[in-house]
Amino acid sequence: MNTIAGVALNTFRESMRERILAVAILFGLILMGSSVLLSPLAVGAKQKIIMDVGLAAISIIGVLTAVFLGSTLVHKETDKKAIYLVLTRPISRSSFLAGKLAGILLALALVFAVMTAVMLATIALGRGIIRPAVFASVYLSFLETTVVCSIVTLFSTFTTPMLTSFFALCIFAAGSLSGDLRVFASKFGGEGTRIVTDGLYYLLPNLKVFNLRHEAVHNLPFGAGDVLRATIYAAVYAAVALFFACAIFRRREFK
Amino acid sequence: MNILNVYGIKKHFRGDMSLAKREVLRGVSFHAREGEVLGFLGSNGAGKTTTIKVILGLIRPHAGSVSIFDRSPGDARVMGRIGYLPETPYFYPHLSLAEFLGFCGGMSGVARADLPGRIDRVIEMVDLAPHRSKRLKAFSKGMLQRAGLAQAILHDPDLLILDEPFSGLDPVGRKMVRDILVDLKKRGKTIFFSSHILSDMEALCDRACIIRDGIIAKSVVLDDLLKMGEGTVEVTARGWRAEMTQGMREYVESVRTTGEDAFLVVREQRFVRPVIERLFEGGAEVLAVVNRHRTLENLFLREIARPDARTAKGKKEEKLVFTGF
Repeated sequence: MNTIAGVALNTFRESMRERILAVAILFGLILMGSSVLLSPLAVGAKQKIIMDVGLAAISIIGVLTAVFLGSTLVHKETDKKAIYLVLTRPISRSSFLAGKLAGILLALALVFAVMTAVMLATIALGRGIIRPAVFASVYLSFLETTVVCSIVTLFSTFTTPMLTSFFALCIFAAGSLSGDLRVFASKFGGEGTRIVTDGLYYLLPNLKVFNLRHEAVHNLPFGAGDVLRATIYAAVYAAVALFFACAIFRRREFK
Repeated sequence: MNILNVYGIKKHFRGDMSLAKREVLRGVSFHAREGEVLGFLGSNGAGKTTTIKVILGLIRPHAGSVSIFDRSPGDARVMGRIGYLPETPYFYPHLSLAEFLGFCGGMSGVARADLPGRIDRVIEMVDLAPHRSKRLKAFSKGMLQRAGLAQAILHDPDLLILDEPFSGLDPVGRKMVRDILVDLKKRGKTIFFSSHILSDMEALCDRACIIRDGIIAKSVVLDDLLKMGEGTVEVTARGWRAEMTQGMREYVESVRTTGEDAFLVVREQRFVRPVIERLFEGGAEVLAVVNRHRTLENLFLREIARPDARTAKGKKEEKLVFTGF
């Protein structure tokens, strides 16, 4: 456990020194700032605009940061051969990978915390009301990012950073739409289309379960059970992705 | 007791775009005894680093086996007892030297309470105390090499595997590394290292294995190597004439002439006297008699210069594998 924590801490430190993280936070802050500028256009809905843009920015920036940090997760270590120093110590390859994933999630948690703090400050300065649904929505976005990050980790064990980013973003897009596609196919598609969309629905992550933005913005009720189910779903999906990533990584050779 | 046993390891690689096999290791066998310093010698591309990677479990052999402390490579109980310095040390550039060593110590299972003391000690040993808070990205190649040695010895391992430990070091750095290795040897540590610097290898090693084209071509005990050289004498004579060869064939291995001077390599020590007598009898003048010791460099160059062993696989290969064991 100590070794996983050691790798996680080192990955966190390294991520903190990556410019991508600063860029992601800055981009998120600009997006949220722009929501303040846009809000006068929607009379009476200033807080909703700030919340809507803010929550969307947190979600998108979180996913993009996960993809860009995670895609070089293993590649940078193997390319520079720093991995030799770690794997020749009493640490299993699975622990190493779990540590790397944990370190990136730690860095992402910081990105989320900074962006959420800015959004809440913006809402508070505009005398808006901060409801529990906002926190729940941010929490679910973080879970969504965790799932994407675990998929990125899986791809990073056997392919290049470019392809890892490409596949991860494709899965993110497909995972966000898989539920809709399934409904669409069941209504209008043939038998073959239905089988394909059903397969994709169960294989790809159903990222819709992590979207609570509508409820948060419009102050709609949400169930604690949904949040719990989403938490379990994210934990299981990430664990399975990590399991396969470890299985591939254990077989890898470091020439 | 053997700490490290390498038996018949074979490894080939395929190119990224081709299916052609490139044999890198063709049945490497050797062992390292407890407390021994074993040198691993070979030209570039001979298979030194690949062998080390197989030993450490970074790559898997296609055939053969490796055991370290009677266990398989990669076993956590074994890896904690190994200190490894890679050929081209690349360390996390965002870390300071002290942070880096803290990370390595933690990964090697050093107790948190012991870590600061050990870090201070190894930093002193590799003479990097003024740079302990400096980020590794600001280190020169020689400093990185020292940092690499520091991380390899930090957890007080029983077996050190060092891939080119003298690479990138200035003469002062080389002496420092040599002194550290001598000290570790005195403390009973087993050291296995590859190097191109034959004088360092000769000064440190108990034994040396020469790898050539992915196979151990020779394994020598360094003390025996020096003994092997005893009796090889070179006599320099002036006034040499070709007909003198007649009476000396059985005593002299070779003759090299420049003008009226000749350099005669005498087969054995006991033949020096008859050779000198015959030179005097022939009217030549003896200018010098020099004892020639055989060096690791002589042996290495001779092994490297041999006709390609790849053309004579099979029986010959088997013989070579076990030479010196």
